[in-house]
Amino acid sequence: MKIEVILNGAKVHGSLGMTILELARQNRVDIPTLCYHPDLTPIGVCRICVVEVEGCRTLMPACQTRIAPGMVIQTHSPKVIETRRTLVELMLASHPDVCLVCDKGNDCELRQIAGDLGITMPRFRMKRHYYPSEDAGPHVVRDLTKCILCRRCVRACHEIKKADILAMGYQGFGSKVIAGRDQPLDAEVCQSCDVCISVCPVGALAKREDVERRSYRDCRDGVRLRRTGESKGVPQSHTFSSPHEGEPGG
Amino acid sequence: MASSTNDARLDSSLLLLLERTREVYGYIPEHALIGLADALGLPVVDVYSAATFYRGLPLRPHGKHVIRVCKSVPCYLKHNGSIIHAVERELGIGPGQTSQDGLFSLELVNCIGACDRAPAMMIDDEVFGDLTAERVTEILAGYR
Repeated sequence: MKIEVILNGAKVHGSLGMTILELARQNRVDIPTLCYHPDLTPIGVCRICVVEVEGCRTLMPACQTRIAPGMVIQTHSPKVIETRRTLVELMLASHPDVCLVCDKGNDCELRQIAGDLGITMPRFRMKRHYYPSEDAGPHVVRDLTKCILCRRCVRACHEIKKADILAMGYQGFGSKVIAGRDQPLDAEVCQSCDVCISVCPVGALAKREDVERRSYRDCRDGVRLRRTGESKGVPQSHTFSSPHEGEPGG
Repeated sequence: MASSTNDARLDSSLLLLLERTREVYGYIPEHALIGLADALGLPVVDVYSAATFYRGLPLRPHGKHVIRVCKSVPCYLKHNGSIIHAVERELGIGPGQTSQDGLFSLELVNCIGACDRAPAMMIDDEVFGDLTAERVTEILAGYR
């Protein structure tokens, strides 16, 4: 069944059951998303995809709201843009300023969205949660300091891998993704399928081999900066060591 | 919160069972969490998720008396910081900790419904309002 909707002033057609996001993408209207992932159930927690729907009291999440006949939708009105900008600024308020040295670099979806929205210096400042980087598992390196609580990894673990290892724990500012009995993401709990890494929008989850490869960096004086320590679950320290033969360069 | 994808009925019985567990043990021991997950057919992480979400479901044993100092806005505006400091100084413990003698546990909680008497705290089920650092000392002495 075809449904007629007004999207940004233009009459467009969608089918029954379609979400606003799907309709917009079909019509080449770009709505930013963070918690949404095409392979996962939309849960609408990040609110980045909010749009204005005429007659609705609040802005609606495009990833979860289904289209209805005659809907009038604004995806880039000043109110929407301002809301998205504030939301990203709030996320950045508790996000570490380590983009320049983060392994995710320019692949970071949060960084891309912040750039698209023209966000420069952070407006909000708050105390950050610093969690030690976890590298106890054979494959997954986890840095919860960078986590934006989008729950993509939680859903991927449940829906794709059906492993149910991850869930949200604690509350308020203390919220974090917990694994098993709130224990390190090591071989005991994690089956190391990497599916959570593939869906993480930021640098909170990474493959061990990627982290190790990128940690080898040439310094100006020819000394290699090497990340040392095979110790489990302890934050790694950076030390200088002489160059090795056969080490991958950065 | 337990993941939304799980059966809502199981989730609701989980909360009741967690509460019952707390009544029996005074806290939620790890073996109970694992046992509940097993009995309800839930992933262990979902049981942990629910238990860690609620302040009323402690995962560690509490002291004999639980002191809950309100950290909500009305108490904050009435300088609850000095009250928290006073309790910390008296007991030598921080929020979330239990004193060495096992007598007191300190927690910072959201509104306890005594805004008219802010800054306020509760010791077990009793509410104390209009607190000052001096009164905190007196009150705690009564529990020793």
